[in-house]
Amino acid sequence: MDINEMLKLYKQMLVLRYFDEMCTELKLKALIMDGFHPYVGQEAVAVGVCSALTDKDVVVSNHRPQGHAIAKGITPRRIFAEFMGRRGGVSQGIGGPMQFIDSQSYFFCGSIVGSGIPISTGFGLALKKESKGRVCVCFFGDGASNTGAFHEGLNLAALWKLPVVYICENNQYAEAMPVREFVSVYPISKRAESYGLEGITVDGNDLEAVVEASKKGIMKVRNGEGPVFIETITYRIRPHYIGDPEFMYRTKEEIESWKKKCPVERFKARLVGIGIDGKSLDIIEKEVISNLEKDKAWAIQQPFPSVTQATNHVIVPLD
Amino acid sequence: MSTKVKIISYCEAINQAFSEELYRDESVYLIGEDIGKWGNLYGATKGLLNEFGPDRVKDSPISEAAIAGCAVGSAVMGMRPVVEIMYIDFISIAMDQIVNYAAKYHQLSCGEVKVPVVFRTQCGVGMSNSSQHSQCLENWFVNVPGLIVVMPSTPYDVKGLLKSAIRNDNPVIFIEHKNLYFTKGEVPEEEYLVPLGIADVKRKGKDVTVIATSWMILQALNAAEKLAVEGISCEVVDPRTLWPLDKNTILESVYKTRRCVVVTEAPSEGGWSGEAVAVVAENCLEELKAPIKRICGMRTNIPYGKTLEKSVVPSDEWIIEVIRTMMR
Repeated sequence: MDINEMLKLYKQMLVLRYFDEMCTELKLKALIMDGFHPYVGQEAVAVGVCSALTDKDVVVSNHRPQGHAIAKGITPRRIFAEFMGRRGGVSQGIGGPMQFIDSQSYFFCGSIVGSGIPISTGFGLALKKESKGRVCVCFFGDGASNTGAFHEGLNLAALWKLPVVYICENNQYAEAMPVREFVSVYPISKRAESYGLEGITVDGNDLEAVVEASKKGIMKVRNGEGPVFIETITYRIRPHYIGDPEFMYRTKEEIESWKKKCPVERFKARLVGIGIDGKSLDIIEKEVISNLEKDKAWAIQQPFPSVTQATNHVIVPLD
Repeated sequence: MSTKVKIISYCEAINQAFSEELYRDESVYLIGEDIGKWGNLYGATKGLLNEFGPDRVKDSPISEAAIAGCAVGSAVMGMRPVVEIMYIDFISIAMDQIVNYAAKYHQLSCGEVKVPVVFRTQCGVGMSNSSQHSQCLENWFVNVPGLIVVMPSTPYDVKGLLKSAIRNDNPVIFIEHKNLYFTKGEVPEEEYLVPLGIADVKRKGKDVTVIATSWMILQALNAAEKLAVEGISCEVVDPRTLWPLDKNTILESVYKTRRCVVVTEAPSEGGWSGEAVAVVAENCLEELKAPIKRICGMRTNIPYGKTLEKSVVPSDEWIIEVIRTMMR
């Protein structure tokens, strides 16, 4: 990575971090109505993977989509608005924090764990037929690797050599279930090996490691070599959703130990280490916060959809 | 205008519809278990693999969730998949993809994304396949906003409706019946479509309206034939599309006959048969000469065995019995 790209990705990670922190405030003020699933701590995964994508690539995300959405290029203001159920949101406020679609950005998310994996095979099939080198990236968590959909989807994609990039974000917990107690093999990438794929596991809190693995993997997929599976080891610093009883399943000490591995801080230290002036990084940070404040203020001003708007488009009208 | 017709089976009619639509539109493809080399259990897709090749007729592993998901994703990108779920009972594995994704993407994208998938499957008793291969599960889908539900009863309808379903931009649940595959009927040699959402009067009559679906249409027509001998004239209405429902055709018939029975192979409780009754009751209850009756499958799991399985779902005899009582 050259220095400009490093700074660009650093800034993007800050956008994800502050977006989430602002959403926590909005949730506590009940302006976000659903519990929403914070992405804090996992920023290097979304930013690193999406840095290897083009506008025309497809992203299929899950119930924790905001990081992937921003990294794919959807503007934070539209996501703020969607989270608050407002017009102007990605799905005009009818989808909420877990289910929104932006067809212009080729971004799809849904909240049933594991379901995006079979759907990605379909995107892959269409992209393979088109043969323009586009790929579909499918983000999911460690919990999704326990679903039947995961195994059906991987088998099909491997069998048909579909251009799908599977990114397993192993954030240590499926809701409250620790990965080591609920996944029968470790690392999870071993599961990919059983479908004939290479089992790749990287440090998901190391932006450069994620970028490197993604660029290499995605290039192979673009070249028609079939699907790639990358497990990223990371940690969800915030609760599963705002207000979950997190100390029933994990300790403060554990969270603190992972905060020390924070991907944003870690990359900042790296930038300082190669001689970037700390003050210029502070300027970037301030700019990020100020822009997000504007986006948030804009989103709060947007109206709610009417019942008519919310019940439109159930089906395409029959002739 | 004289159109040439041919007598062909329901199964051949499906095959023709596929052949025509695969030829007509590059984006159409078929996906399912044993639809290629085997050509489907009943031969509905026989010969298509040879004619159109493996990219258009895709044999898949036994992975209903993956098949359905693959269809949804590729449909969003502009392809027009026709999924075969070998038995409707197996659709339980694909429900998440159908209900939570196929049915919702259009609305969640504010009308921008379309999901033109046909989920084709078959239901019902008739092959001694017992409880996990013989159910009628259409009611599950009628209950989901975002889906179209079709149940064709004749070779003519199955061909025309399948072609319409493939060309339609919505996810369509297309339910055939195992007892219908080898029934025969007239099908025009020229191309035609049967529109979705339009019912058909299968037999004209003046005393009782019999609303029936799928294989039950044959039971209803048999019953009507026998009752005619006794001087009771039945009008048999086939909704063809369960949702959206053609209320006008149903109501027009009931306004005329002022009596109504609804026949489905699926159990009545919480089902589409109740919806059909409600449409009649909400619109012309005061016109009726007798209470509306439902004749439906027993609320039981389908037992094994040729005689036994048929004894738990409506027959022409059940229908005759109810209508005779109604006419007294």
